[in-house]
Amino acid sequence: MLSNPLALIAEVTHRCPLHCVYCSNPLELAGTPSELSTEEWTNVFQQCGKLGMLHAHFTGGEPLARTDLAELISAARAAGLYTNLITSGIGLNEERLQALVDAGLDHIQISFQDSREQAANWIAGAKAHTHKIELARAIRRQVGEKKIAFTVNLVVHRQNLDHLEEMIGFIEQLHPERVEIAHTQYYGWALANRAALLPTRAQLEKAVAIVAEAEKRLAGRIRIDSVVPDYYAKYPKACMGGWGRRLMLINPAGKVLPCHAAEVLPGLSFENVREKTLGWIWQESSSFRRFRGEDWMPEPCRSCDRRTEDFGGCRCQAFLLAGDATVTDPACSLAPSHGIVESAVREANADAAVAQPAPASSFVQLQNANTELWSYRTNPE
Amino acid sequence: MAPPSDASQPRLAAGCRWGGTEEDRVILFPEGAIKLQGTGRQVLERCDGQRTFGEIIAELQKQFDAADPAKVRSDISVFLEQLQKKRIVDY
Repeated sequence: MLSNPLALIAEVTHRCPLHCVYCSNPLELAGTPSELSTEEWTNVFQQCGKLGMLHAHFTGGEPLARTDLAELISAARAAGLYTNLITSGIGLNEERLQALVDAGLDHIQISFQDSREQAANWIAGAKAHTHKIELARAIRRQVGEKKIAFTVNLVVHRQNLDHLEEMIGFIEQLHPERVEIAHTQYYGWALANRAALLPTRAQLEKAVAIVAEAEKRLAGRIRIDSVVPDYYAKYPKACMGGWGRRLMLINPAGKVLPCHAAEVLPGLSFENVREKTLGWIWQESSSFRRFRGEDWMPEPCRSCDRRTEDFGGCRCQAFLLAGDATVTDPACSLAPSHGIVESAVREANADAAVAQPAPASSFVQLQNANTELWSYRTNPE
Repeated sequence: MAPPSDASQPRLAAGCRWGGTEEDRVILFPEGAIKLQGTGRQVLERCDGQRTFGEIIAELQKQFDAADPAKVRSDISVFLEQLQKKRIVDY
């Protein structure tokens, strides 16, 4: 029997003051005029509550770009959901933070691009680093009855892995309860910039040892969750815990997706919350049923013992790398198309050079100085 | 970190709270939830930041008087220490 979805990922806007080169948003961003209204999101959260969902993850773009964010959080909380804000922190000061907490925010997750200011701003394509540090301090200065949980999210890749130890030390000083060390996943902008982001095997092996040591040292103080890069793994990741199995994502324009990247898949049409209920979309829509369960699986997945653990890996990665959403994820060492990933890994290891942060006084200057290396995420119309 | 001392006052960590329904109570925390039944629920319902660890142990030893009191103590201690590492409980 089909169980209910557990969590909603609410991409409340695709607008963002940052231009991170590893952004997981689609290259084709949802335009501002198409964004769901406060009332439409409120209705969505009520539906989530009735479906028995537990968490609402507010993300974007930058969710703070929505001036009604406090109202949205309060609506989600009123519907019985645990509220998590995934943010760059740009657009947040102590006063607005307090308003969000009063509205019922449970958890805030702030991304840091690096421990070094110049490098961090170079990755983000924006001067954001100093503000983030101030904000982290404000979160920990919080007084009053209700304290929110604080997670630091650190995305790691070729350009910053060499000083991972320093970055963990930096994060320790911010006193979060949790740190998420996430290797870049290659979708959207990150895939377009993969050559500059994919680490070498040596970098990765060193990183694994550093994380293991930090886990031991910080036990009881800071919990470390780490995501390993699937390009170097033997088996693929259980993307989203399986297609249409746990999560629903709603993009700024109300389109309901099984994951962040699914819109790239050809031949699938996705429903909109403006037209259909979430319950119907979860249970009946052809998009959520398309890769649910095992019926769609090809070999070697179909007869593989791991099919109930990794669900054949990621459909979007299969399409983006192998050109076919119905084949085994090329990240799997058993996949017929695994050579595609192997050749990307070979290239990453052929040249171990790491670029240097380019100083710049404006985003345009930064863009111009880095055209050879990568493209920065742009903003929606 | 050490296991809880008798004088410590266990409580849910920042951003962790009760949710679900009366029959199906869960602890909600960033990125997840644990369903709590039986003893686990009884322990955590007493982690209110008021009672000390010593008092919680004494209450539960009394309630489960058929069980070995030393075992009740060590089981609860391990349970809370694990949740502390996950940053769900503070003491």
